[in-house]
Amino acid sequence: MTILITPVLQTINLQKTYMLGKIPVEALRGVDLKVEKGDFLAILGPSGSGKSTLLSLIGVLDKPTEGKVFIEGVDASTLSDNQLADLRRSIGFVFQFFNLIPRLTARGNVELTMAILGLGKAERRKGAEELLETVGLKERMNHKPAELSGGERQRVAIARALANNPKFLLMDEPTGNIDSKTANEIIELVKRLNEEKGVTTIVVTHDQNTALQAKRRVRMLDGLIVEEKVN
Amino acid sequence: MKVSDIFSYAFGAIRLRKLRAGLTTLGVVIGIAAIVALLSITQGLQATISEQLQTGFATDTLIVSTGGGFFMGAGAVTAAESDFNLLVNYTEIIDEIEGVVTSVAVIEKPCYIKSGEREFILAVVGVNFTKYVNIYSSTFVAESGDIPLNPENEVVVVGKRVSDPWKNGTIFCNVDDAVEIVWTNASRLPPRNETHTGHVAAVLKEIGGFGIGPSDSRVYIPTSQAQSFFGTDECNSIIVKLENDDEATIESVSEAIDEAFGGQVQVTSSTAVLETISSIFSIVELFLAGIAAISLLVAGVGIMNIMIVSLMERTREIGILKALGMKSRTVLAIFLSEAVIVGLMGAIFGIGFGWVLANVAARIFTGGGFAAAGEQGAVGGEFAITPIVTPTVMLGALGFGIAVSVIFALYPAWRASKLKPVDALRYE
Repeated sequence: MTILITPVLQTINLQKTYMLGKIPVEALRGVDLKVEKGDFLAILGPSGSGKSTLLSLIGVLDKPTEGKVFIEGVDASTLSDNQLADLRRSIGFVFQFFNLIPRLTARGNVELTMAILGLGKAERRKGAEELLETVGLKERMNHKPAELSGGERQRVAIARALANNPKFLLMDEPTGNIDSKTANEIIELVKRLNEEKGVTTIVVTHDQNTALQAKRRVRMLDGLIVEEKVN
Repeated sequence: MKVSDIFSYAFGAIRLRKLRAGLTTLGVVIGIAAIVALLSITQGLQATISEQLQTGFATDTLIVSTGGGFFMGAGAVTAAESDFNLLVNYTEIIDEIEGVVTSVAVIEKPCYIKSGEREFILAVVGVNFTKYVNIYSSTFVAESGDIPLNPENEVVVVGKRVSDPWKNGTIFCNVDDAVEIVWTNASRLPPRNETHTGHVAAVLKEIGGFGIGPSDSRVYIPTSQAQSFFGTDECNSIIVKLENDDEATIESVSEAIDEAFGGQVQVTSSTAVLETISSIFSIVELFLAGIAAISLLVAGVGIMNIMIVSLMERTREIGILKALGMKSRTVLAIFLSEAVIVGLMGAIFGIGFGWVLANVAARIFTGGGFAAAGEQGAVGGEFAITPIVTPTVMLGALGFGIAVSVIFALYPAWRASKLKPVDALRYE
């Protein structure tokens, strides 16, 4: 196989088996996926189809039982824990439950990503303010997550995910925990980021509407990709 | 991640749980305060005692006594069980030894001292005034009156605290007063009270402390009077003044005296007593610090316990941090930083609190001694302890506080760092 342009993300025969007590559960049974730079991919599927497992594997939060994950051509299975941590710095995570640090302000949360990268204070401040402006939260950046609405929190989470200038955004049900009007706004934001700034985005969702906004969608069932469509 | 960022993140986490962090820190504060207070009091006490001993007894003296140990068993105790008695006129033998300037026999008995309506139990000491002045030229000095060098029998010289027991000008006896000395002679049956009326010729200047030499709370009478009044030629000890305080002189004279009395006496040098005292203090200090250290260990267990609980609460946070690309060793560093902050704050407050505690305790101790013992009287000096918090103690306490916190935080911090990001994120 000749790879002309290295894809941002590629998985080959990805398998993951959990032990639920003594019973093995095959969450993934061989997933092949390729995401090019600038792509906007939606992974659809009902709960239990293995999409969350796939997400944690391509986000190198977990290791596969079988198969490989390549991020910009680098085989994640050959990396040490430290190198995996470094690799995660080039992935922008957005979680369903926002997963912001409650005691930090919106700006503090965005700055945290940059602090982990080792950036200086002034640089972090400037970067965080710019990102929060991009997601439309300039006026609310000194508020803590508890003082923000669900949609606002998700915007902070997106700004945080973008703070390390990631190779791709990885979003786990980004609209699963907010009302449909706000959900549309979030999707619009993600679309805009993808179109205007070329942010490669992978969205895991069970929401058909969200999936239709992407450039491409795949459907998962029982740990396999069963359908692939271009919108 | 920069070290300053790690600390500020850790500090933020501590600030979030103020009460919990405060209580954890309190454990360290108590432990460190106990250590600092005990060490500074013992060191202060040691300094006070050493200083007073040094002024109270010249380093160029030896003390000859019968066995049993002159001062808590310093040196040999070979003569302990013998019938050997030290006699007043043995000074003549000692005076012959090379290196000896002079020697004085000390006869000491507890007696009632009466003046007017008041009475005290005090040590009455019979010494040769001329020789005693010669040996203790800096302490056996009159404040008022004169110490007669060829005294009449009824002459007495009293310490400052005998004259002014309450330190408030209420005089028990003064120069030219008559005092009644009553001694219960129990060597005959039935026991009989011997009474002798003395005439105060001099009041000593204040010496302070409870030196082996002259003391503020003793009554001095001439040797000849002591011999006849107590009906004995025995003395409690013989103080020997040497030509100098060289180790060689001390050793050769000690050996010569030992030889002269066939190994039946014990010779103690002032320096040896000082060394013994300081070694006793080292042991006491170590022992007390050890007890205090246990309380710090308890605090350490508290830290560990709290951190394990906090680890569970923060599992998800750790997952987020790891998803954002934080390395395990940075997670470890954050948790250890929290322990360092707790240890540091605990130690700083502990040192301050310990210092206050030591001063309060010192206040309680000070003002004890003769005056506080009141009408019952007591043969004791009066001394003030000034707690000493040395830089060594402070740095040691600081280091120890931080070390204990960090050591007990190692396990929880290690566990936090080892969490798998995917599991930590899923943790409810």
